[in-house]
Amino acid sequence: MARIQIKGLTKRYVEGAMAAIHDLNLEIADNRFVTLLGPSGCGKTTTLRLIAGFVTPDAGTIAVDGVVLSSADAVVPPERRGMGMVFQNYAVWPHKTVFENIAFGLEARRTPSSEIAGRVARMLELVGLAGFERRLPSELSGGQQQRVALARSLVVEPGILLLDEPLSNLDAKLRERMRSELKELQRRTGVTFVYVTHDQAEALALSDEIAVIEGGVLQQFGPPRQVYARPANRGVADFMGQINFLPTRILAVSGETARVVVDGGLELAVHLPAGAPAELATGSEVDLAVRPENVRLAESGPHERPGALTGRIADVTFLGNANEYVATVAGGTRLRVQTHPSQQFAVGDSVTVEFDPTECTIFKPAGR
Amino acid sequence: MAGAAAALVVLVVLPLASLFVSSVRGEGGFSFEHFQRVAERRLYYQALINSLVLGAWTGLFSLLIGLPLAWAVARTNTPGQGFLKLTASLSYLTPPFLTAIAYVDLFGPNSGLLNKFVRDTLDLPFLVFNIFSMSGLVLVTVLHTFPFVYLLAVSALESVDASYEESAQILGAGTWRTALQITAPLVAPAVLSGTLLAFVNAIALFGSQAIIGIPGRIYTLPTRIYALFDYPPQHGLAAALSLVFVAITVLALVLQRAYLARRSYVILGGKGSRPQRIDLGRWRWAVFGFGVLVFIVAIAAPYFALITTSLVKSVGLSFFDNFTLVHYRFVLFEYDVTQRAIVNSLLLASVAATLAVLIGGIIGWIDLRTTAWGRKLLDYISLVPLGLPGIVMAVALIQFWLATPFPLYGTLLILLLAYVARYIPLGVRAANAALRQVDGSLEESARILGASWGMTVRRITFPLIRSGLLAGWVLVFVPAIQELSASILLFSSSSITVAVAVYNLYETGYVEPVAALAIINMIIIALAVWFADAFGRAAGPRPSTMQ
Ligand SMILES: Nc1ncnc2c1ncn2[C@@H]1O[C@H](COP(=O)(O)OP(=O)(O)OP(=O)(O)O)[C@@H](O)[C@H]1O
Ligand SMILES: [Mg+2]
Repeated sequence: MARIQIKGLTKRYVEGAMAAIHDLNLEIADNRFVTLLGPSGCGKTTTLRLIAGFVTPDAGTIAVDGVVLSSADAVVPPERRGMGMVFQNYAVWPHKTVFENIAFGLEARRTPSSEIAGRVARMLELVGLAGFERRLPSELSGGQQQRVALARSLVVEPGILLLDEPLSNLDAKLRERMRSELKELQRRTGVTFVYVTHDQAEALALSDEIAVIEGGVLQQFGPPRQVYARPANRGVADFMGQINFLPTRILAVSGETARVVVDGGLELAVHLPAGAPAELATGSEVDLAVRPENVRLAESGPHERPGALTGRIADVTFLGNANEYVATVAGGTRLRVQTHPSQQFAVGDSVTVEFDPTECTIFKPAGR
Repeated sequence: MAGAAAALVVLVVLPLASLFVSSVRGEGGFSFEHFQRVAERRLYYQALINSLVLGAWTGLFSLLIGLPLAWAVARTNTPGQGFLKLTASLSYLTPPFLTAIAYVDLFGPNSGLLNKFVRDTLDLPFLVFNIFSMSGLVLVTVLHTFPFVYLLAVSALESVDASYEESAQILGAGTWRTALQITAPLVAPAVLSGTLLAFVNAIALFGSQAIIGIPGRIYTLPTRIYALFDYPPQHGLAAALSLVFVAITVLALVLQRAYLARRSYVILGGKGSRPQRIDLGRWRWAVFGFGVLVFIVAIAAPYFALITTSLVKSVGLSFFDNFTLVHYRFVLFEYDVTQRAIVNSLLLASVAATLAVLIGGIIGWIDLRTTAWGRKLLDYISLVPLGLPGIVMAVALIQFWLATPFPLYGTLLILLLAYVARYIPLGVRAANAALRQVDGSLEESARILGASWGMTVRRITFPLIRSGLLAGWVLVFVPAIQELSASILLFSSSSITVAVAVYNLYETGYVEPVAALAIINMIIIALAVWFADAFGRAAGPRPSTMQ
């Protein structure tokens, strides 16, 4: 129902300090579930509050469906934006019943009271809280309060719903359940969700698109699969889940692919990240990034390919749905590997290590 | 914003500025002659010394009484906890000039009831205690100030997380070793800060220092400043002496804040478990006995003296043959001065409490919820009156308003200004505490749902802070209805207040009506506290049905 265009958005809270969000450009299409993901303090909440109109940008604009709502000179106040927002602590008003909480936004919009009762009831039905109308927030569990907060935001039929880590106060089980409910709710209502989290698993599970932010700067914006498998830089790769970095040298570059040789002699043809910087030229030292589930182990034996990477098992952890091994390979690099639980090695075993080159990426080494 | 700032300027900044100006204005323009006189004339510097001596002893004894009681209530299995808490609250609520009057009834050198008893009945003249002495003044003052130490110590002791102490015990430290090496250092800042508050409050009390100090020829800063307004008033000297007074007060408060700032680590343990109570064995009765003793000295004895005095035809005759209600009839229905005083005090205290909380609420809201320029400054200025003893506030207001064309001196309005100015810090603090409880997201949720600023304040903020504001209202009303230190310089016959009437009647020797008026004053205070308690509960969040 609503498209958000963010252009050059910058906000600095303290004069001279680092910007909380710097030169953010983002196009959020209608009817999407978009997640702002990043480590603590990276500027996610700031971005959300900028969209809501609680914070005035220092530069840049925020437009919804082509209408500029925020700029450095003028900000449409929150109450005239027709958005909804769910806060991390839910902010369910403790002095109002469930019904009064949900009805508030309708009253603020001067909806006739005959209509209010029906809409609140339908909303309660939707979030599974029918029959709780007269309860006070103190008589609800955390998960129920969270649903009141959702219902309160959705009942006014906002074009955009902003959610700031709404699941972080819930226990693991409930979080999982609310996750699927949220996604389901978004599909059913067609509202554009802008969702803030620092939990990459949550972001991957929920989103149509993920915006990874670090240090106030947008690092990558794309669908979960792309952000996970084709991270734009080393920081994103690291943040999106466990990953190994192996010292590597570039032998040749041709278009989107590069021939590289990993320390220890293994040669591969790998994909270059989009807009690869000039540092990734022939002859330069780089890191090969590969996720643990994309590494394969084999018993080393006589039929070994010449130039294959070999290593020794240093540690084993049984995870239930997988075995996790740490293998020490040439140069002393410790490689984290996940295999099917049926594939078993013992500490000290010699192994051959193989990668699927299409699942690997190269980055310039950290700290250089 | 502009309104709150303007109020602060008129109430605090301008009067204080005119105090500075008149302290350095001599016969021929700018001069330090007033300060010089203060430093040279014994009359003045002796008052300063007496105030410091009084404050020091009072601080010490407040500590010696308040800390053991706090420890007993917060950390031991001493019986009668409710009774001990009540003793501390009543001691705090009782106006110190009433305690002073009661103690004069009991220990006046010649006619004091207890003195007569030990001298004439027991025939032990060396036991006669002269209340008109520094010891007498310290005794009466301590009974009002020890709750400062008590309250801060209790809250500190209760907020020390049990895990701190348990960690020491698991490492082999015994109960007493833990108390001394772990608990004591943790609560020391709060206790010291309570002692300094006791000091600041003690030296500011005009009533007890006039009632007990003046007959004993012990002049202190408030009584000396008061005497400077005898005809012809010496404004410059009064201003200089007031500023000396302010300097001590501010110094003590700065120290107090520094200590209190260090207190924050006590809270760090957060929502941890409650500390366990020490089993005192048979000693718990000794501690309880100490509490009973404090109760007798601070509450039972003075109230007994006041109530019996208020109910007899004439002091000295036997109580039962002599019982009468004429003094109550006199002050309530016959004597126009006391009638007017009661009406004035009720009016002043209610309006002052309302205004102080209102201004406090606005200042607190600006400070916590906006990014307005100068909001921190506003907050600081609102705390300035804490450093101004009542009589100094009066001196400042007199000098400011006399310099303007508005004939405010002697009206109810100038009293109102004095009260509001004095108690704005209480209003700000109450509003601040209440607002801090309300997370900003509760208001933001309303805004994003389409509520205007006004609707948000009306429907969300105000209902949530209402009971906190009400508590603040009573916090102002109680001291305002018994205010004497500033009123004594500002009243006129038409704007007389209860406390001033009590003091004047006492001065003229009407012992019995004084007692009756004193009891009425206490009943008003008790009603206000009760009302706040009952109403506060009703206005708070509705009780949960889950329990
Ligand atoms: N009101 C404020 N005043 C000053 N600095 C602020 C304010 N709010 C946030 N910041 C700073 O701006 C930066 C970004 O903060 P923000 O709250 O947007 O982070 P976040 O990504 O939401 O972090 P988290 O995951 O911890 O909630 C941080 O460095 C923070 O310290
Ligand atoms: Mg945040």
